[in-house]
Order: sequence, then structure tokens, then C-alpha cells
Amino acid sequence: MNFDPNLIRNFSIIAHIDHGKSTLADRMMELTDTVAKRDMEEQLLDSMDIERERGITIKASAVRMFYHHTDGKTYMFNLIDTPGHVDFNYEVSRALAACEGAVLVVDATQGIEAQTLANVYLAVDNGLEVLPVINKVDLPSAEPERVIREIEDVIGIPAEDAPCISAKTGLNVEQVLARIVDTIPAPTGDPDAPLKALIFDCFYDNYKGALSYVRIFDGTVQAGTRIRSMATGNEFDVTEVGVFAPTWKPVDQLTAGEVGYIAASIKSVAETKVGDTITTANRPTKEALPGYKQANSMVFCGVYPADGAHYDDLKEALDKLKLNDASLSYEHETSAALGYGFRCGFLGLLHMEIITERLEREFDLDLVTTAPSVVYRVHTLDGRDLVIDNPTNLPNAAEIDYMEEPMVKATIMTPSEYVGTIMELCQNNRGVFIDMQYIEADRVNLHYVLPLNEIIYDFFDSLKSRSRGYASFDYELSGYEKSDLVRLDFLLNGEMCDALSTIVHKDRAYAKGRAVAEKLKDVIPRQQFEIPVQAAIGSKIIARETVKAVRKDVLAKCYGGDITRKKKLLEKQKEGKKRMRQVGSVAVPSDAFMSVLRING
Amino acid sequence: MIGVYVHIPYCLKKCRYCDFCSIPIDETAGRYRSAVCGEIALSKAKYPDERVKTVFFGGGTPTALPPEDLVSILDAIRTAFPVEPDAEISIECNPKTIGFEGLRMLHDAGFNRLSIGLQTTQNALLKRIGRVHTFEEFLATYKAARDAGFTNINIDLMHGLPGQTQADYLDAIRTVAALEPTHISAYSLILEEGTPLYDDVIARRETLPDPDAVADMEDAGMDLLEALGYRRYEVSNFAKPGFECRHNLIYWHNEPYLGLGVAAHSSMIEDGFWVRFSNESSIPAYLKKLEKGKLPRAERIITNTFEQMFESIMLGLRLVKGIDRKVFFDRFGCDVIETYREAYDKNDRFGFWDHSDPARLRLNRLGMDHLDAVLRDFRERRLIDFLR
Repeated sequence: MNFDPNLIRNFSIIAHIDHGKSTLADRMMELTDTVAKRDMEEQLLDSMDIERERGITIKASAVRMFYHHTDGKTYMFNLIDTPGHVDFNYEVSRALAACEGAVLVVDATQGIEAQTLANVYLAVDNGLEVLPVINKVDLPSAEPERVIREIEDVIGIPAEDAPCISAKTGLNVEQVLARIVDTIPAPTGDPDAPLKALIFDCFYDNYKGALSYVRIFDGTVQAGTRIRSMATGNEFDVTEVGVFAPTWKPVDQLTAGEVGYIAASIKSVAETKVGDTITTANRPTKEALPGYKQANSMVFCGVYPADGAHYDDLKEALDKLKLNDASLSYEHETSAALGYGFRCGFLGLLHMEIITERLEREFDLDLVTTAPSVVYRVHTLDGRDLVIDNPTNLPNAAEIDYMEEPMVKATIMTPSEYVGTIMELCQNNRGVFIDMQYIEADRVNLHYVLPLNEIIYDFFDSLKSRSRGYASFDYELSGYEKSDLVRLDFLLNGEMCDALSTIVHKDRAYAKGRAVAEKLKDVIPRQQFEIPVQAAIGSKIIARETVKAVRKDVLAKCYGGDITRKKKLLEKQKEGKKRMRQVGSVAVPSDAFMSVLRING
Repeated sequence: MIGVYVHIPYCLKKCRYCDFCSIPIDETAGRYRSAVCGEIALSKAKYPDERVKTVFFGGGTPTALPPEDLVSILDAIRTAFPVEPDAEISIECNPKTIGFEGLRMLHDAGFNRLSIGLQTTQNALLKRIGRVHTFEEFLATYKAARDAGFTNINIDLMHGLPGQTQADYLDAIRTVAALEPTHISAYSLILEEGTPLYDDVIARRETLPDPDAVADMEDAGMDLLEALGYRRYEVSNFAKPGFECRHNLIYWHNEPYLGLGVAAHSSMIEDGFWVRFSNESSIPAYLKKLEKGKLPRAERIITNTFEQMFESIMLGLRLVKGIDRKVFFDRFGCDVIETYREAYDKNDRFGFWDHSDPARLRLNRLGMDHLDAVLRDFRERRLIDFLR
């Protein structure tokens, strides 16, 4: 027996970090008795440790709720939670495409942020009805009227009767549930038409295989249905369909308008691509849903085991993470300095941090990661077009005709008092100013075109510190531009260390070379001999520092009672050295390769 | 032939940098002498054929015990084991713990080498590191020792002390050398965890000179000592020719020795096996075992040939003369350089070896500064590779 589609509401929640998205979702689940209060884990939707610790959502997830409305009817709510970071923009757009509406949560003490704005536009582009909600009205510094005005001015949607709530205390959350029924349209769709289902996320389970999280637009799917991916043409037999209640609960079938999961003995999430359309093999739908894209890695870095003996463990760990994260890419690479490892591609810097952190935590690996790189296009004099994601692979300068680097269009929202310092930051990072709009008397929206290369390092951190945390930031890729780039190399004791090479703009090479050489001088421990640290462009040395030799590395006393102790001490010192990588004659601590990033060049 | 070490764990007061086994003298001191004598008797039963070529009373402060007790322990050793007629018999002492009468009693009983803990000559620095005596009190002890008949005397000095300058240290060396002792030990302060000084440094109540300044001090001190006729023969030890400490050479040559007393360590050959063992490290536990007529052993490790080889290198390279390759070959059946070729070559590239005598493996002065790094390289050699 199917649920009446007119009583279904599919929606997601859009909010800036810390504006209360997860707390509101928790309250909704409590009010609808979806979970008993005693079973509530703080912020149920963010199930990974890293998600809870960082207060961000990495993967989308969904939950089904039943709401008893004042009109006496019971409604099925499908809340689709979206990732909250620019790295996962595509995933957000697909999750929104699965909904008819979005609840926009804005912090009454803060206002709209750049990221929120980007996601609201995504929602509007996807034809969603947006329901604004003003949160944290219980705080003394709350200014709901100002925030309502801001929503109307900036986004251009009516907000005068937006519910003013406190997700923390539960104040007026009931109103939000009622307004979802009234504001957000019921799904349309024909249960008898050929199956048309959108994959908005996927999850790998050890027992069920890769699960596709889907929104059914047309048709019906059940165990036994032979389905086909419209992107790849691959076919699978459905073994189970189910809903999120909030954990997986098998049901007989999923039908038009509903949200749930499909299990079909799919071996890896790589075969169930977010954005793909699923249909039935014997009666396929004519057209796929629009918007499918292949996820492209934007940022690459080398990932190596700190101890070369753990290469296979690292490979196994990457294989496992890949099962659940189709956007992670990796291939074997060899570094003269670091030995065997992988060149990994990520959606962005946060994605990279998350993956490396999970590798270290969940798989107990010690890693060495190299400086991240974007993807450059290199055109050689002999007419070849190369795509370079590893500085080591850059041809000699003499062979290069010209290079292009990826650019982004950045939106920065900030209180107007920080405009000066933020513009300076953008200028320092080779930004090109486009325009500035006043949202209110004291808040502005800045637009810049910036090289992606400049923002993957510490741009976001600098922005936060320059604006005391008030500025917010969003970007989208805007294409490639010709740029005067060079490879900056580093030599330790006269030997080049490939793992430290980076591609930088020519004008910044000197400053960066000096800063990194200084940093390396500090992080490389003194050894038995003096170590020159040099920065070079081609064969030209542009900066030099020296790590002085250790003066005394000998224990003053060693008599009869000290011998066993002394041997243990030597073993311990050796363990310490193990955590270093031998680059030619020089022992380099694992974190040195990454620490060179933390440079305000 | 073995060396015998006797540990006397008592002090007037523990110095702020000290992590040795020592306590202020208390009521256990009376039972300690008879316990050590008991251990000597039990040891005799276990090693009936051993002969003794050196004896060393260390601490703590051995002279915190009455000289009669010390003499009776030495007598017990002589009764149990044949002690060579020319044996070196050393005892450590600290100023203020013993006077002329006591020193004469020790000398007459056969102690022929005295080691005095001075550390430095500036009274302010002595106070800062928690020493209980002044320089003047040391001078009185030194004179009394000479008067009592001691001609072979070592003086301990330290550098890298909180507040110490290079001028302070060189001044201390000159002052001490003017007294013409036969031997000077010159230690760099080791900041040991668990000592009051360590806690003070961590809490920033006390600061040590920076490591480069300490290295400068050490190098200048070494030059000065050599210029004054004290030849460096080990990392921290300097002597007039012929007055190297024979007991300590036993450790550095990796030869057998028997340690008596609380927390003492031994390295002995038992049934053909080289064994390292240690005694109970708390006085009550030590006394209890002996009062029950049992040897006070805490730990016992059989050292295999491979470990012995490494220990011989670890200890032998501390000596300026280094390792006699023939002695090494005769003991282990392999050449020390060939067996550790990789470590040898690596450190040869650094210029750490002294090539003047092909019969020996020895570090030059630069190499000795990096001894621990050299040893880590030698430690890379694994037993499994050696067996192949």
C-alpha cells in the first residue's frame, strides 16, 4: 500500500556552519517521535567522529519522519541533509535536486553568510520552494527583524512571517513543521511511468554492498527489479529497498515521490554515481534527470606511508575509503624522497584533510603528505598539451610555451569594517577585483577572481583571522587563465627533494622560496653535519639557509650500571629517527613536507 | 679476573641534579654493612675461583658510612676473594663527610685511590646545584687526603651548570689542576627526569646554558685540560699518563665485574654465558633478601654474542684509544669493521674515524662528539643479518 504522494514533503535544510542545522533536525526528529529522546545522540545526522568534532556534515544523509498536522492528516517528511562545505558543492546540488523545498536557517545574531547564499541560489536554480527560519532568537544579541530584512533584500524572498525559533530550546519548532506542510509542494510524479530515480548519495555497507540513496521521481522499484544506470549503462538486480527511519529499514517498494535506498549487490560506490539516474532495464525512461556530472578532483597531493613498509596498508585503506567515497581518486606514484606512495585527488582542501585524517585515525597509519597542487595545463613548444597535477612532472622551462592555471570566482561576505584588510589579502593572493555590493549599511559582498592555487593553502584561515571570524567565503571554478608560473624546488645538502617542489607564480617565487627555506631550517633537526637548505628555480638558487650541525651527541657518563639503560636509550632515539624520512643524507621529519604550506607568502 | 664495585647508597643530602640510588643516611645504615658482607659471602659461594684486580666503592657517598664499616667491607672482600697485590682500590668521597683520621684509616686499610666530588669551585654555583659543601671545605678534605697518604686522587668537575659561564668552568679547571691531582673527570650535566633540577627547568624556575654554549665550554675545557697535562682517555675522563682509572677501564673494555650493594649492576660469566644482572634497587628489599640469606637479585639477562659485540663497541668507542681489532676478533671471531661495514663507511664519510692506527677502531675528537649517532648506526645491524 503506497503512501499518498500528496502527503509527502521532501526537503533539505540550508544553513551556515553553527547556525543550527543539525540541532533543528534533531528537534524535528524528537517532535515527530522518529527517535526517542533517550536514544538521541548529539546531532544524529553527523555520524562520523570527524563530522561531530568539526561541526560539519561531510556526507549527505536522510531521515524519514511522520508528522501529525493540525489538519488531522499525517504527513511523511523526508529530510535530506546536505554537506556543508564548498568542496562538496556538486553533492549539495544533487541533494537539493531530490527535494521540492528547502528550509533556510539563519542565525538571528549573525545574518546570511556567503556559503548560505550560494546554497540558496542552488536551491532556487533547482526550482525549490525556500522556507526561511530565524534561529537563536533566544540569545540576547538576536536581531530577528534585521535578519528578516536581510533575507528579503539579499535573496529576494518574502520572510516577514518566517518562524522565529530556538532550535536549542525547541521554541516554535512546531511552527516550522506546520509551515513545511503549507509551503513546500507535494511531489508530483507518476507511479506507473517508467522508473526514474535520482541518486543523491551513496553509502558502502559491508553486508549490503554499495547502497544508492535515491529520490523516486517516476515509477516504482522493489526487490527483484533489474535496474540500469543511465550514466554507465550498467545493470543490477535490486536485492532490497528501504527507507531511513532513521536507520535503514527495508520496505516492500519505493514509489514516485518517495526517498529511500536501493541495494543491488553493487561492489563499490564508484558504480553508483551521485547525480546518476536509475531506471528499469526492461522499460527504461526516455531521458535522464539533468545535472549529472563526473566528479573532478580539484586538489592533488602525494600521500606516503611514514614508514615505507606500510605501503600495502595504505593501499588497502585507500581502497576501503574509496568504497564509500567515489570522489576520492588515487594512483601509485614514486618519489625519490619518499619512496612508494599515491597521488591522491580531492574535491578540495577540506576533503583532503578529511581523507588524510581518516586514514590516520581509522586505519592507524602514519602518513607523510606533500604540498597540495591544483591541476595546471601546460602547452609545450612542440605543440603538446599536458595536464599536470604533480610539480615533479612539469617539463623543463625551456620546453614550455605557456601555462594555464585554474581560477575561481570568489564571493566574500563581510562586515564593512574589514573590507580594507580583506581586499589586501585578495590582492596579495593575486586576486582580481570584480565588484562590491552593500547588502546593508555595514555589510558588503565582495567578488574577486582568484587563482585556485592561492586559496587552497591558508586563504580561508587568513580571511577568518583578518575579519575576526566574521567574513564568510564561497567560490566556484571559473575556468583556466594563462599565467606566468615556475616550479620552485628545494635542495637539502645539495640534493633536490622532489616532495617539496611546488608550482608558484613567478612574482611570488622569491618570497615563497625564502619563507619555505626559513621554515625548513626550523623544522629539520640538527644532524651530524651542516645542512644547506636552498630554494631554486631551475638551476638558479634564490634563497639559502643553514641547519647547523649538532655539537655534542654523546652521553657524558657510562659506567657499569648505565649499560642496559644506555642501550635502551639508543633504541628510543632510533625510534624517534624512524619517524623521519631520509632524503639523501638528510633526515627530515614527516610533517616538514606539509608544514611548508603554512607560509604566508 | 674481575672488578668489584660496592655501592653505598647514603648521602648527607641529595644534590639537585642527582638521580643515582642514594638517600640521606638513616637507621638502615647500621644493617647495611652486614648485608653487604653477607652478599660477599654468598657471591664467593657462587664464583669460588674469581680473582680481583680492582675494587671501587661508589655511591651515594661511601664516606657517609663510618670508615670502620668501609674497612670491614673491604676486609670481607679480601677474605672471600684473592685480591691482586697491585690491585687498584678506589673510594669516592665528598667534602664534609670525612676528616684526616678517617682518611688515614682508609688508606692504611688498603684504599689506594680516592675520588673526590667537587663539581665546581665557585661557591654560588655549588649552592645552586644543591651541594652541601663550599670550595674551602673541599680544599680541607683534599689536604687531609694528601696528609693521610693518598697520592692517586681524582677530582670530579661538571660543566653546563645553571648560571655557569665558560670563564667559571675554565677557572675551576685551572684551580683544580694547580692542586695536581692525578685524574680529573669532567662531566657535562645530564638533566635527568625526576630530579628537583629537572622540575625547576621544566617550570622555568631555573635555566641551563644553551647546548651550543655548553659545547663551547666543553671544547675549551678539553683543550685546557690537555694543555695542563691531563690526557683525555675517555669521553669525560682525563688523567696524567699512567693514572687512568683501571676499574672504569674494565667497564669500557666490556670485561666482567661484580657489583655489590643496593642497585648495583654486574656483568659476569656464568657457565660460559655472559650475564648482566642487577640487585634490588630499594634498600628495604635489598636488606630483606640478604637477611633471609638470599642473593638480592632483581633482574638477570643473558647477553648473546651479538649483543656483547654491540656492547663492546658502545663502550670501547668511548675510549680515545678505541677498540683493539685483534682483541675484538679473538673474543668474537670476526672483524669489527667488516662486520659493521655499513655503519663504518657512513661515519667514514662524515670524517669521524681516526685512521692513525689500523690495528684499532677509534673515533677522532669530532667523531666522539657524535658517539651516540655513530652507535645508532651500529645498532642498525640486526642479529638476523649477522647470522646470515
